Amino acid sequence: MKTVYLVCATGIATSSMLRVKVIDYLESKGIDVEVVQYRVAELSPDRIKADVIVATLAIPPEIEEVVTVINGLSLLTGIGEEETLEAIAKALSEDK
Amino acid sequence: MEAILEQIGGLLANLGPLIVLPVVITVLGLILGMKFAQAIRSGLTLAIAFVGIFLTVGLLGENMAAIGNAFAERTGTGLDVIDIGWPAASALAFGTPVGNAIIPVGIILNIALIFLGLTKTLDVDIWNFWHQAFIGAVVTFITGSFLWGLFAAAVTVLMAIFLADWSQPIIEKYFKLPGISFPHLQSAGYMLLAAPFAWLLNRVAFLRNLKLDPDTIRKRLGIFGEPIFLGLFIGVILAALAGQALTDIILTGINVGAVMLLIPRMVGILMEGLTPVADAARKFMQKRAAGREIYIGLDSAVLIGSPAVIASGLLMIPVEIGLALLLSPLGNRTLPFIDLADGVFVTAMIAPLVAGDVLLTVILGGIVMGIGLIGATLLAPAVTDMVARAGSIDIPVGYTNYTVMSDGAIPHSYIFYYFFQTPVGIAALLSVAFLVLHFFLSKKPLTAEKLFGEKEEAKKK
Repeated sequence: MKTVYLVCATGIATSSMLRVKVIDYLESKGIDVEVVQYRVAELSPDRIKADVIVATLAIPPEIEEVVTVINGLSLLTGIGEEETLEAIAKALSEDK
Repeated sequence: MEAILEQIGGLLANLGPLIVLPVVITVLGLILGMKFAQAIRSGLTLAIAFVGIFLTVGLLGENMAAIGNAFAERTGTGLDVIDIGWPAASALAFGTPVGNAIIPVGIILNIALIFLGLTKTLDVDIWNFWHQAFIGAVVTFITGSFLWGLFAAAVTVLMAIFLADWSQPIIEKYFKLPGISFPHLQSAGYMLLAAPFAWLLNRVAFLRNLKLDPDTIRKRLGIFGEPIFLGLFIGVILAALAGQALTDIILTGINVGAVMLLIPRMVGILMEGLTPVADAARKFMQKRAAGREIYIGLDSAVLIGSPAVIASGLLMIPVEIGLALLLSPLGNRTLPFIDLADGVFVTAMIAPLVAGDVLLTVILGGIVMGIGLIGATLLAPAVTDMVARAGSIDIPVGYTNYTVMSDGAIPHSYIFYYFFQTPVGIAALLSVAFLVLHFFLSKKPLTAEKLFGEKEEAKKK
């Protein structure tokens, strides 16, 4: 079971918008995930248990060093949505 | 016509958000082309979110009632109006009759503007119509009229869209987000007020040379960015100052930390219900806007990543507390509380005005929030009324006063408050004049040259 963090500014608004899309897509591909929402301020490099982070904003560099971060903005604008979802699925199927 | 609208408003108020919003959202979803099952799921999720929100806001209210007046009296600060924060306020705003109507109205207005070629912004962020619903609810409170509340909300929706066009160039340049604009009334409203001051500050050379480092600030103050810790500290401090017994102090700290975590979680459920509808709205609007140059209008939450924004957002915590105390003799009665956690929404669209300089951003934030605290104090009766009407919250009448620091501080909130202190006819004229001003702003977007001057721009390159 893989873990995905959805990160935005408050952990409420934009990350909730991501949640629906990411879960639906991954389920349709048969990928089992646990999805957790966070605000960016709550992230700390030594406590990341995610396989992939999908974020609607810029993530501090120290976090990017320990986990794959995918820009989720396209899931909000609708432009480039498919590519981003595919990238997420791909990142999850790669074994670390 | 007016009488019919008033009747509708009254009916909406009687049925309450638990019934009305799900119906409105389901119907809207169906009109936008969603499948029946999906539309109903969205509507029902919304209703459930509201049940959760009312429960958790009730928890907040209980703790606040205990602290509120005792704190103000014992400390002699006169800060007896408590900031309930934007998550609770958003739910309350959507729960009012104006709030019930604002989503369809907002979408229709946006589509109309695009068709008429009056804007380039396609606002897909229907969630944030709540800020306009909030202003509408305040106006309804003042005038007793659903019609005028709806008018105010509609006008501010248009203003937010124009502000998005106005701010687009400088935001795109600073955050490197092409094709995106921000009709988020909260951050864009602050930006409007801060812009002239930014212009001034950019010309004071010595301030710009005192550089504060964002990363050090983030490391030192970072823990305050976590809501549960912020809630614990502030809850404990307030309870102690209010003279509670030791066990009660600890319990209050824990309860407030709980509130800081739980209310946003409930609001997240609201968002989950709204997302499929927002998506359907976006596809609907994009199809009809095909062929035009469009900016996608988003929530300014997307801008929170830059270190300068986060660092200044953290610094806003002590600044807002300090301002509340300092301005108390000048009429401020607002006690910053839940909204302390979200100083980043103040700084997000202000930072580009000063090229991300942390010190200048904080100064601008201070100016905006200083005025804003007084604004929030003015709106307290309206907000307290909204909380009381939410139904499942038991507030001893006249005992505790509530406000929302973040939205009270939006210039449009208190400007409209003042407009509607005059007879409605005059208020309407003033509103329209203000709207026209916004339209002209949208035609003259804010660029780096205007803010920093030609010479400075050349230097930055």
